[in-house]
Amino acid sequence: MIAEFRLPDLGEGLPEAEIVHWHVAPGDAVELNQTIAEVETAKAIVDLPSPFAGVVREVRHSAGDVVAVGEFLISFEVAGAADATAPDATAPDASAPDPHAAAAGQSRTAAPAEVSAAPSADDDVQTPNLVGYGAAPRTSARPQRRTRGGRPAAGADTAVLAAAPHDAVAPSAPEQARHERPRSTPPVRKLAKDLGVDLALVAASGAHGVITRADVEAHALRAVDGASAGIAAPAPTESTPSRETRIPIRGVRKATAAAMVRSAFTAPHVTTFVTVDVTETMRLIEALRADRRLEGHRIGVLAVVAKAVCLALSRHPELNSHWDEQAGEIVRFGYVNLGIAAATERGLVVPNIKDADALDLVALSDALGDLARVAREGRAGLDQLSGGTFSITNFGVFGVDAGTPILNPGEAGILGLGAVRRQPWEHEGAIALREVMTLSLSFDHRLADGEQGSRFLREVADVLREPGRAMLLR
Amino acid sequence: MTSIATGKASLTMGKALGAGLRRAMADDERVLVMGEDIGKLGGVFRITDGLLDEFGTARVIDTPLAESGIVGTAVGLALRGFRPVVEIQFDGFVYPAFDQIVCQVAKLHYRTRGRVRMPITIRIPWAGGVGAAEHHSESPEAYFVHTAGLRVVAVSNPQDAYTMLRQAIASDDPVVFFEPKRLYHSKGAVDLDAHIADAAPMGLARVMREGTDVTLLTYGAQVTTAMDAATAAEDEGLSLEVIDLRSLSPVDYRTVAASVRKTGRVIVTHEAAREAGVAAELIASITEQCFHYLEAPPLRVTGHDIPYPPAKLEKHHLPDLDRILDAVDRVLGRPNSFPEVTP
Amino acid sequence: MTYTPTTDTEHRSELDEPVQLLTPSGQRRRDPRLDEWADDLDLATLRGLYRDMTLARRVDAEGVALQRQGQLGLWAPAQGQEAIQVASARACRADDFLFPSYREHGVLLVRGAAPADLVLSWRGEVASTYDPAALNVAPPQIIIGAQTLHAVGYAMGIQRDGADQVAVAYFGDGATSQGDVNEAMVFAASFSSPVVFVCSNNHWAISEPVTVQAAHPIADRAPGFGIPSMRVDGNDAIACTAAMRWALDHARGGGGPVFLEAVTYRMGPHTTSDDPTRYRSSDEVDLWRARDPLTRLEALLRAEGAFDDAFRADVDADALSFTTQMRSAAIDAVSAAPLSVLDHVYAEPHTGLEEQRHRFSAYLDGFDGDEGSAR
Repeated sequence: MIAEFRLPDLGEGLPEAEIVHWHVAPGDAVELNQTIAEVETAKAIVDLPSPFAGVVREVRHSAGDVVAVGEFLISFEVAGAADATAPDATAPDASAPDPHAAAAGQSRTAAPAEVSAAPSADDDVQTPNLVGYGAAPRTSARPQRRTRGGRPAAGADTAVLAAAPHDAVAPSAPEQARHERPRSTPPVRKLAKDLGVDLALVAASGAHGVITRADVEAHALRAVDGASAGIAAPAPTESTPSRETRIPIRGVRKATAAAMVRSAFTAPHVTTFVTVDVTETMRLIEALRADRRLEGHRIGVLAVVAKAVCLALSRHPELNSHWDEQAGEIVRFGYVNLGIAAATERGLVVPNIKDADALDLVALSDALGDLARVAREGRAGLDQLSGGTFSITNFGVFGVDAGTPILNPGEAGILGLGAVRRQPWEHEGAIALREVMTLSLSFDHRLADGEQGSRFLREVADVLREPGRAMLLR
Repeated sequence: MTSIATGKASLTMGKALGAGLRRAMADDERVLVMGEDIGKLGGVFRITDGLLDEFGTARVIDTPLAESGIVGTAVGLALRGFRPVVEIQFDGFVYPAFDQIVCQVAKLHYRTRGRVRMPITIRIPWAGGVGAAEHHSESPEAYFVHTAGLRVVAVSNPQDAYTMLRQAIASDDPVVFFEPKRLYHSKGAVDLDAHIADAAPMGLARVMREGTDVTLLTYGAQVTTAMDAATAAEDEGLSLEVIDLRSLSPVDYRTVAASVRKTGRVIVTHEAAREAGVAAELIASITEQCFHYLEAPPLRVTGHDIPYPPAKLEKHHLPDLDRILDAVDRVLGRPNSFPEVTP
Repeated sequence: MTYTPTTDTEHRSELDEPVQLLTPSGQRRRDPRLDEWADDLDLATLRGLYRDMTLARRVDAEGVALQRQGQLGLWAPAQGQEAIQVASARACRADDFLFPSYREHGVLLVRGAAPADLVLSWRGEVASTYDPAALNVAPPQIIIGAQTLHAVGYAMGIQRDGADQVAVAYFGDGATSQGDVNEAMVFAASFSSPVVFVCSNNHWAISEPVTVQAAHPIADRAPGFGIPSMRVDGNDAIACTAAMRWALDHARGGGGPVFLEAVTYRMGPHTTSDDPTRYRSSDEVDLWRARDPLTRLEALLRAEGAFDDAFRADVDADALSFTTQMRSAAIDAVSAAPLSVLDHVYAEPHTGLEEQRHRFSAYLDGFDGDEGSAR
């Protein structure tokens, strides 16, 4: 069996030694602890005693050579039951082609290697075989962390993660000389994360530029539509103190209220109504639902209305615009970001579908489905909650016909859908039971006049009455 | 021959400590007390008064003037199976014994993997506010808190002095036991029959006063100051929660964190200097555990980073009621003297 | 009486003359100060001394070799000091308690340390090895002189127990400069405690000669504290035995502390990291090689017809058996699991440490492989 001896750390952290003199040569018989060499370290000249009894096999380095700790010095042929315990020596094609294991099978190093770095056959990696604690030799390999794969006690620290993405510094704003994280307090940061608010975009009202809880709540619900028309207010109870319940005004409700007030008292609202026979639309929907090629896509009334709205808006851009008081301009949008008002557990939110006008009916229907789900789960992100250009509110699901919806702040129009009712209607000169729906359009009278609003509404209604008329619009 | 007091009494802290020692020595014949002037004189603060007459020179040892020697021989006595209670005459004199405390007392259990125990109690009359000469008003607790293997406690009232000293002596671990000398003569109720096994464990903090607005953490004589600050704050409609840590190693973070999560605002106050003091450690741990509950940065109200000043000037150094309330103002966002956070 | 400090080790004044009962060439001498304590030492006792001293020498050489072979991080050679170490320890009773420094390998061997006990701490596997209560030996002390106070405290405990054991403190010439050693002598004298101070003056504290530590013979300090003292030839196993018996008898009988200065020489470096060629001459080392403790005892035994080849072979075999076990204990040592570093800091649960243990354990669990999951 071959036994190797590598240069150990001879004196507390010395990285190398110079060979002064070899006392033995290959072929010499050597006893345990017999002095085989003299080496000089930074501290002293030291005799190296042989760790093995045997015959010298190979000697590397000559007198005058500087040898690093861990480098091979000398090997011996020693007596030992090597053949019985060296499986790799006899079966080189055995399972693990690990060079370290192979080496261990054929030879025995003088000292058990401290497993600090992964063993490697690479000559650059100097694995120390010392046990004394000196400085570990530097490897030329790139520093690497140990792979983790076991059972982590805790997942990612959501507390810290919560802080980061929502404190992102706004990418633009060239006048911002310093890139500072927005100032806030830990609980407010968490709130921002929960509401999907980027603190970098929130105006701070607290002292010294600290963003407060109220700031975040207001910002989060800037786009909320207060479609309170569809929801009957609870009948006022007699206000004797013992029969009152007090609910603190905070959170989503507070922000929603603020947004509604802002909208209602900024834009002059006009609402106009039309009642239309939508039987053909219902038949279309039935047919589309029965079409096997459209399986999985739930196309409903809302999708058809949404499509009609997008088509009509292309011909009535004044209803797809924004009154920019500060800039003194009216912004006409070349796209439709269609918002759909949704009632969630936390209150009313109006997420929008970007570029809804570019989607065909099927895609639009799918997008509506996704939006509904996201809103229901409270996962609507800021991006979805902002940038809308026109909105639809479907209060018909609550069983009412018409309303006077409040505009989503910053938008020109909002279309309210009533319930689809089966009722007597004039049809081809006779009275028949038809599916009938009322559309309620509120618009900003600064951006559109009565005629424009009415014509838009009429066009939407025409598509619902005769879906084929959509082809006239675009 | 032993005259162990029983029942409930109103005792000064000094007398309570003496009663505690007497009781511990009566309960366990392996308990010894040793130190300079503790026998015949009864100690420079009279804490050990009467013990020599009662227990004799075998168990009450007047030592040579050598702090390292006192602690080093205590190590040998502990190896022999005794439970030495060492008195370091004044806080500022503990430094010659520092090597024996840190290198030997603290480490022998660990380095022998549990075979050797060091049930040594090191009593240290501690801290200032008594108009003393130089080196007699030190607060060195941070050095010992930082040393693994030592337990560190600080008492703030006679009952704790009585009970916790007995608990410290009974503990198989070495305990550095800080006694605020400026409270040696203040009286309080002491239940002399208290069973140490039934009493609050030595490592537990105590909520001295419940409150909702700010958590005030402290220990030793500063507890009194903190309670005064809380009373004064009441007049301004503020509700401060005051916690006496009692144990500095380990710290009862369960009690502390529960309070911080409730109030969202925390101030740590101690007489010892600010830099790398015990407050720094507390705040690091509190921030880690209660980050999202914090409405304001945690603050420290401490001695300045100066050697303890001359007696006439010590009042400018000791963190008093006003400095504490200034910090309370700060954490509540009220006008205060703190300079603004520099951007 | 004035004393002129020297920078070499030749004794100039009769004050220095250590008590000697066996010359370097192996002649037996008489000295009235110790004869009564040496005259009854028989050949069997002397052969026992030789056997143990040989073991100490071989163990020491093996320790050095193992360090040079990378098996131990460090070793403090005790070569040359076998006589005082072995003789003093053999004179003690089993229930006496000994407080060694880090160089008293001979003392540990006499008290029954196992081969593994000699290497595992130098290898860095553990801080201390044997159970102090099993050998009645304190763990070796690295803080210079600290153990002298522990010995005195232990002796104060013996007094309180009304027992007749003796505490023995071992330390070097350098240690006598430390405050703790002087405080220990104050305490011991004031309380008349049963402690024997054994100062192995091996002439060097790393590179500082004894003349830096002592402008006056070390043994002469003790009377200044009120402690009887003797300066003895530390390479003379017979004188060391006799002196230790005298000292133990004095202390055990209620006579209070005793101080022995054993004049010897550190033949090797301070530790395997030291290079003595930088501060002392090879001439000085040769001078002391001629005063070797083993050769003089062997010479006496041969002259008495008590040393034959069979004895030689037997002694060598015993030593070889021990050193072979030392070697395998070092090479085959398995390091403790990572989490064990948090054990035994306290005797009773400490919440802060429990928290750290919990976290470190969870951290280790996150890694694949043996190292991560080892407990």
